[in-house]
Amino acid sequence: MMIRADHVAGGAFIALGVAVFALSGDLPFGTISAPSAGMMPKLMAGLMMAFAVIVMSGARSSQAVTEIDWSDRWHAILVIVITAIAVVFYQTLGFLITMSLLVFALLVVVERRNPLRATAYSIALTLFAYWLFSKALKSPLERGLLWF
Amino acid sequence: MEATFDSLFLGFSVALRFDVLWYAFLGCLVGTLVGMLPGIGPLAGISILLPLTFGLDATKAIVMLAGIYYGSQYGGSTTSILLRIPGEAASVMTCIDGNAMAKKGRAGAALCIAAVGSFIAGTFGVIVLTLIAPPVAAFALRFGPPEYTALLTLGLIFLAYMSTTSLVRTLLMAALGLLLGTIGIDVMTGHFRFSFNIAELGDGIGIVPVAVGLFGLGELLATPSHQVKGDVTRPRLRELLPTRKEWHESAMPIARGSVLGFVVGIIPGSAHIISSFLSYAVERRVSKHPEEFGKGAVAGVAGPESANNAASTGAFVPMLALGIPTGPVTAVLMAALLIHGVPPGPTLVNDHPNVFWGFVASMYVGNLMLLALNLPLVGLFVNLLRIPYAYLYPLIIMFCVIGVYEVNHSIVDVWIMLIMGVVGYGLKKFGFDPAPLVLGLVIAPIFEMSLRQSLIMSGGNYMIFLDYQQRPIALGLLATSAILLLLSVISSILRQRDWRAKLAQAEAVERQ
Repeated sequence: MMIRADHVAGGAFIALGVAVFALSGDLPFGTISAPSAGMMPKLMAGLMMAFAVIVMSGARSSQAVTEIDWSDRWHAILVIVITAIAVVFYQTLGFLITMSLLVFALLVVVERRNPLRATAYSIALTLFAYWLFSKALKSPLERGLLWF
Repeated sequence: MEATFDSLFLGFSVALRFDVLWYAFLGCLVGTLVGMLPGIGPLAGISILLPLTFGLDATKAIVMLAGIYYGSQYGGSTTSILLRIPGEAASVMTCIDGNAMAKKGRAGAALCIAAVGSFIAGTFGVIVLTLIAPPVAAFALRFGPPEYTALLTLGLIFLAYMSTTSLVRTLLMAALGLLLGTIGIDVMTGHFRFSFNIAELGDGIGIVPVAVGLFGLGELLATPSHQVKGDVTRPRLRELLPTRKEWHESAMPIARGSVLGFVVGIIPGSAHIISSFLSYAVERRVSKHPEEFGKGAVAGVAGPESANNAASTGAFVPMLALGIPTGPVTAVLMAALLIHGVPPGPTLVNDHPNVFWGFVASMYVGNLMLLALNLPLVGLFVNLLRIPYAYLYPLIIMFCVIGVYEVNHSIVDVWIMLIMGVVGYGLKKFGFDPAPLVLGLVIAPIFEMSLRQSLIMSGGNYMIFLDYQQRPIALGLLATSAILLLLSVISSILRQRDWRAKLAQAEAVERQ
């Protein structure tokens, strides 16, 4: 049997629903006429799983998983990894350093741009954003350990 | 009626203050840019720029954010006409005939018709909003928890009925959104739900990180820079004026698009997208020369552009009068009002008249500003499209991170945004529309609370929703929900290839 996109998507939603039921075991369900904290999550997880089964049952009309265009995957992976690293260091290094490095890394690693141009652009951009938020809009940005 | 005009006068006294005008102008300008840039739609634009409004009072904040919203509808038409790239989904239909007109050397005329149509439709929408929002709000004061439960149910069913994807997929996304909306402390029992000992999750998942992740970051992840074309022709100012024949051909489509768009805008769903598709279909059907559609028909630009702008305004009626979002954009705008301590809903008109009427009046002014901005400055805006996308998206990602972090100064929110970005990328690949998820997330707490309050009121008896003597409104709303659900199921069974299927197909093409 050919695995189709809706088989995978439906399966993922069912797995999520099962996880919700497993994680909400300690939440009291109450009764149908007097619902408690656990009813709504379980009801929604149940509905989600039911809809996922319907999606899977009609999967024949969806495209094969192998036909999905993943040509942008490396771009997506690199962007998400670089941004995640920036998030890890954001509170420690502060706005100016982290965001300059984030923009620089995106330009050099993902877009293969000239490092000198990328450095100038990332610093200029970050300084502009810093001025916009911190000075013009008086919305304090994360300073980090280095205090700037 | 006299009271309405007095209140509108109050609104203008607020909206015409220099500082409010300045923020309306900023919103319109930024909105136009947001609408033009591929990979960032009005929702992501508003969410990312939300922190910019934190230092402002509620009136200025909502005026600026609404300016971004309807400004993006104007801006979207520029890229559609000049590049055949819809800056945002509602501009898909404008691509067809707008770009065909541009290829015939009528780019300026197409831009002018789109801008004037948007202006007329936007102004028409605000006039109707002015007249109907206060009575609707007054009527909604009669609503109790059962009516709100029924209304939210109807909203979800309408969303599924009007959705661009299938009924089941939409309901699945809405269920996921409602599920995510249950995260945090249960206010009625005090239980922590799925918070995994993370203090920040006690308050639940915010709409901003979810919206920015799904619609902003998710879109950027799926758009590598080599896929974005940058070749653009710059129209000359003297080419902007349409001929008398073109004005004549656009008059009725603008009028029809304005009415149709406003009505569709009130209904939950991706209203501004649906309205432009509906308007295009209507114009082709009533045209004496349907064969010209796709080859540069003026009505194919005038109708959809007017419809999507009127729909943007129509969407404010349920948001302002009932406190219920009809789509993810109004949901974020609602969140913005709440952040500024102004709860939208039936009491808004009386409790915060400056905000309500200042906002309404600013929309009149904003539409005028957009007309003035978009026509003479179109050449300037087009220059923005020449900036390589590779340099543009790191800036957007930076704003995504700052935007989300600044809401609560919470790094957990930024992680949620990153996760939602990956989820949004995945949903796009598997053909799911994330809009119902965001809507489900917003209405989950209100829905659960009103359902449980209703059951407490009735001693656990579900007949409270069907009591035609005590609760006729709730009964009427639920009956409408049942009819819509039935119609949707019948429609799915018969597998009719209606306009919604065509809309889904067109959107799928756009995604590719």
